[in-house]
Amino acid sequence: MRRLLEIGGEQIPVWLAHTGKGYVVHARDRAVPCALTCSQGRGAYVLELEGRSIPLRLAVSETATFIHLYGRAYEIRRTDPADRLVEGGAGAGQDSIVAPMPGVVVSVTVGPGDRVEKGQTLLVIESMKLETTLSAPRDGVVAEVPFAPGEGFGLKDVLARLAPEEE
Amino acid sequence: MHPGYGFLAENAAFVRALNAAGITFVGPTEDVIDLMGDKVRARAFVAERGFPVAPAAIEDDDPASFVERARAVGYPLLIKPSAGGGGKGMRVVREDAALEAEIETARREGKRYFGDGRLFVERYIERPRHIEVQVMGDGCGNVVHCWERECSIQRRFQKIIEETPSPALSPEQRTEICETAAGIARAVNYRGAGTVEFIYAPDGAFYFLEMNTRLQVEHPVTEMVTGIDLVAEQLRIAAGGGLSHAQAEIRQTGHAIELRICAEDAFADFRPAIGEVLLVEEPQGAGVRVDSGILEGGKVTTDFDPMLAKLIVHGSDRAGAIARARAAVQGYVILGVTTNTGYLDAILAHPRFLSGDVSTGFLAEEAAVLTARGEDVTDILVAATALSDGRLVRAVDEIPEMHRLMGAWRN
Repeated sequence: MRRLLEIGGEQIPVWLAHTGKGYVVHARDRAVPCALTCSQGRGAYVLELEGRSIPLRLAVSETATFIHLYGRAYEIRRTDPADRLVEGGAGAGQDSIVAPMPGVVVSVTVGPGDRVEKGQTLLVIESMKLETTLSAPRDGVVAEVPFAPGEGFGLKDVLARLAPEEE
Repeated sequence: MHPGYGFLAENAAFVRALNAAGITFVGPTEDVIDLMGDKVRARAFVAERGFPVAPAAIEDDDPASFVERARAVGYPLLIKPSAGGGGKGMRVVREDAALEAEIETARREGKRYFGDGRLFVERYIERPRHIEVQVMGDGCGNVVHCWERECSIQRRFQKIIEETPSPALSPEQRTEICETAAGIARAVNYRGAGTVEFIYAPDGAFYFLEMNTRLQVEHPVTEMVTGIDLVAEQLRIAAGGGLSHAQAEIRQTGHAIELRICAEDAFADFRPAIGEVLLVEEPQGAGVRVDSGILEGGKVTTDFDPMLAKLIVHGSDRAGAIARARAAVQGYVILGVTTNTGYLDAILAHPRFLSGDVSTGFLAEEAAVLTARGEDVTDILVAATALSDGRLVRAVDEIPEMHRLMGAWRN
């Protein structure tokens, strides 16, 4: 059974298997026998891995696993590869400007149907108390600017979309 | 009405409204808030009374010649909104070509944040430290200081680690800067708790930056070394009870450090983090204090400030306080939303921080080291994630024995 994990921006396909004696995790071209057992404290576990007993704290949400390990916290995003195929649509991202971080729209300088040149300002956003200008990635026609000034948006929301290029 | 340390704490119109309603505001008079809230007037007021200020150009003096006078201040320079605070809208300009565009951006940000687009520019002191002094006044002419706080560990003008005493100051310099701050507070007949902020240059010169007419986020470090509950003092003063300590009774004992725990991913360009708080376990023990605003089950969104909690430690000396801070921040478990605890720990472990050789540019200069990934723990994370994934484990367990014996079957 597979999962696609994202750790620190790196995509790692992972297989879990059972040998009859215990679990084996296959990732990054290695097969590692391992076991996870509960320990004292909320969310506390001990991971047995390659002869080591590693204490850690762990919490699981719908799409991510949070692990506190050796004094640091890590967020591991989980995807079922079957879900990922559904998103599909090769090259669909190229026409869209996706929010690099959550924030608020400050101003919008174009509207649907407007013809824009590469580099032209589409909208200004504010995240973390700093303004950022988002400009057109190529020449084209604006298809959509979903957020109005003053509206907030989340990470990876589409902030502007250009109409697909005609061949 | 105690206004906390948010925007209402420095809003003179709010104070006027409270006064009209017969409600006592815990803080200074509206006139002092107005004066110190306007950086230009505050600066002129302080300079006129003989306290040190840095070279500057003020737009209001003569708007038509502002750009020319800004040029004359020399580079690098810092553009600030007259009505600003907290680093919002401030821009550093290092070359003449960028000056006019940066002025326009700063003006727009000033208008949006403060409803006021007036600006001033100030010479940007290279390798400066940010040192501030806690003051307390009774509004009847009596002012004491509660020593300084070093707040040079800043990212984009936002403080994230503060400590006291400052490792930069000799006893003589400490007395001088603290007495200057008390003098400024005395000059406005200050009432309540306030903070006078200074830029401290590598040569030991210091300049008035601004006065915050409220309690500061970082006030706990002062409480830890003086033993004085600053909020209780504020309430006592507001109730007309005056100051509870004479200057000679206010001593610094040991060393205190505060870490601001923020919802952000330091290893992904400090992207704000959101999520649901799944598990929290705060560090405990002697000399450890946590002021927290989160609970398990709570949601962290971008609607509010990213600061979730403050971790404050006290030690008998600076090295002891750093060691205690590291143990505490490493043991602070917050799962469900990414925080900057790993980054804070990396700062505490940095040789320049350990030696006290920092300036407000420290975090930017050492960014690569501070956000470097530690040892590769990917194998551990992958295994723990897979084995705690209930659906995944159940699916594997349901695979018939024969297939299991084949090992990692794939299709």
